[in-house]
Amino acid sequence: MAAYIINLITLMSINAILAVTLNFIMGYAGIYSMAHAIFFGVGAYTAAFVALNFSASFFIAFPIAIIVAAILSLILALPALRVRGEYFVAASLGLQVLGVTIFSEWKSFTGGLGGIIGIPPVEIFTYEVINPLEFMLLSLVCLLLIVGYIAVLSKTSFGRNLKAIRDSESAAYALGKNVAIIKTLSVVISSSLAAVAGALYAVYLGFINVESFTLDTSVLLMAMVIIGGAGTMLGPIIGTVILMLLPSLFSYMWFLPQTEIGSIQQIAYGAAMVLLMIFRPGGLVGSSKKQEAK
Amino acid sequence: MLFLQLVINGLQVGALYALIAVGFSLIFGATKIFHFAHGATFTIAAYVFYSLYSVQEVHWVLSALVAGLAAVLFGVFLDKCVYAPIQRHEGSFFTLFVASLGCGIIVQNLIGIIFGRGFVSVTTPLSQSVELFPGLFVSPLSGIAIICAVLAFAVLQTFLMKTHIGMALRSLSENPELIRVYGLSPRQLSSIVFALGSLLVVPAAILSASSSGLNPAMSHHIMLISLAATIVGGVGSLRGAAYAGLLLGMSENIALLYLGPQWSEAVTFIVLFLFIMFRPAGFFGRAIAS
Repeated sequence: MAAYIINLITLMSINAILAVTLNFIMGYAGIYSMAHAIFFGVGAYTAAFVALNFSASFFIAFPIAIIVAAILSLILALPALRVRGEYFVAASLGLQVLGVTIFSEWKSFTGGLGGIIGIPPVEIFTYEVINPLEFMLLSLVCLLLIVGYIAVLSKTSFGRNLKAIRDSESAAYALGKNVAIIKTLSVVISSSLAAVAGALYAVYLGFINVESFTLDTSVLLMAMVIIGGAGTMLGPIIGTVILMLLPSLFSYMWFLPQTEIGSIQQIAYGAAMVLLMIFRPGGLVGSSKKQEAK
Repeated sequence: MLFLQLVINGLQVGALYALIAVGFSLIFGATKIFHFAHGATFTIAAYVFYSLYSVQEVHWVLSALVAGLAAVLFGVFLDKCVYAPIQRHEGSFFTLFVASLGCGIIVQNLIGIIFGRGFVSVTTPLSQSVELFPGLFVSPLSGIAIICAVLAFAVLQTFLMKTHIGMALRSLSENPELIRVYGLSPRQLSSIVFALGSLLVVPAAILSASSSGLNPAMSHHIMLISLAATIVGGVGSLRGAAYAGLLLGMSENIALLYLGPQWSEAVTFIVLFLFIMFRPAGFFGRAIAS
């Protein structure tokens, strides 16, 4: 039982990192990305590659994963600068689809559909983090650092600029804000931090394949942010906890067909999204009245 | 000969894409609702046709009619029960998009539970390809797809241009407030738009079910095509969406000369990406870069 809870908390922190970073562009910058799972994947594959071939050190594998994701995220930032939010959904959806194709075809790097096995555990100063409890602490620390970083960032002028752009891009532009650079930076920050989750995921499970980085993951992450409340600090974390508890909750319900748990979970959060949008568009944490999201 | 074969396949796929994209573009253009569940409408129509025609062995005309009815009902239901309540209190792009996405997820999984997540195919007497020339296989479905698309667009064009409701629909995209002044109800018109847009995917759903089979997850692909074609064609331009659908179907097939079939969606994305980078207004649209 203890092992089960430790595992759940570890996976929750990893997913919470993804939800918080996605919320950073969705809630603060108004960029609705359906390709967040791709950067999760980029982080995971890069960390796995580095850990297998060079060094499994936390201070080498993780920064490299972050840098690679940051560079690749420029591909996502490029269309984000050219078009309004509505059309960016299409571009990111396309990128998500393209990314999954590359993940499953580039066999020498990603192992194709079979994935990569035998990723060594992460080392912190030659100390191998194998004990699940220690790894849980490591992921919680990563989550806290990222949440703290984003909380600080959203208080700075950069964060205020982001919100200004979300609420009115033209007004921000008229006030002399460099909209292009601010948007690009926000995408780069969000994607590179998502890579941390990917790296954690890879060294935790020791095995990754493309299944974890599909459109379903991107949509699930979006659901976590929305159900919790986009544009709030706590919302995405609460959303993550709720959605991660759902599958185990459903497996306790004996009357549900056990083979369909995955589908039932998806239906549950699909329905939650619809109902929340009708009755409480701000999400669970957000205020019930319209306050953001233009 | 391979090239000619791919061109013919491209025309068939392109005609179907054009139908799908025009349906989405019509809805998005007139109501500004980002109808992400358009892909779900497609899967509903296709699976209703499959379960009636292939499983229950009902006559194809009746199956097609019921499939059409199901699609229209689903579209109008979403408009009345999901989008209308949201629009009453705010109706920002984001809220409508999320609600629509949620509906799409529900439908996809319900279909997965009912029909299974695997591939199913519909076999019709017309699915069989005929060898026209040595090495050139053409299925009668290609011809039917093209004729269907051309017919549908001709009827749609006449409807939008010549009838009173059509004119009202066009003005809905321009100025909903003024419509109210003229004593028409924007909500009622919006339902008509949803019925029309949903009806347009039905022939595409039936024909692609009969030519290439179905699975519950295909709604994502349909959405990618609709979105890409709407942007490539120029937002708000039905003609543009139709040409763009054709272009996407063509490029997907021509790319098979050089790439494996698993790259077909990547090709769609690259076309979309090039347009966003170099011509964000699309073929016929107004500038969308802000």
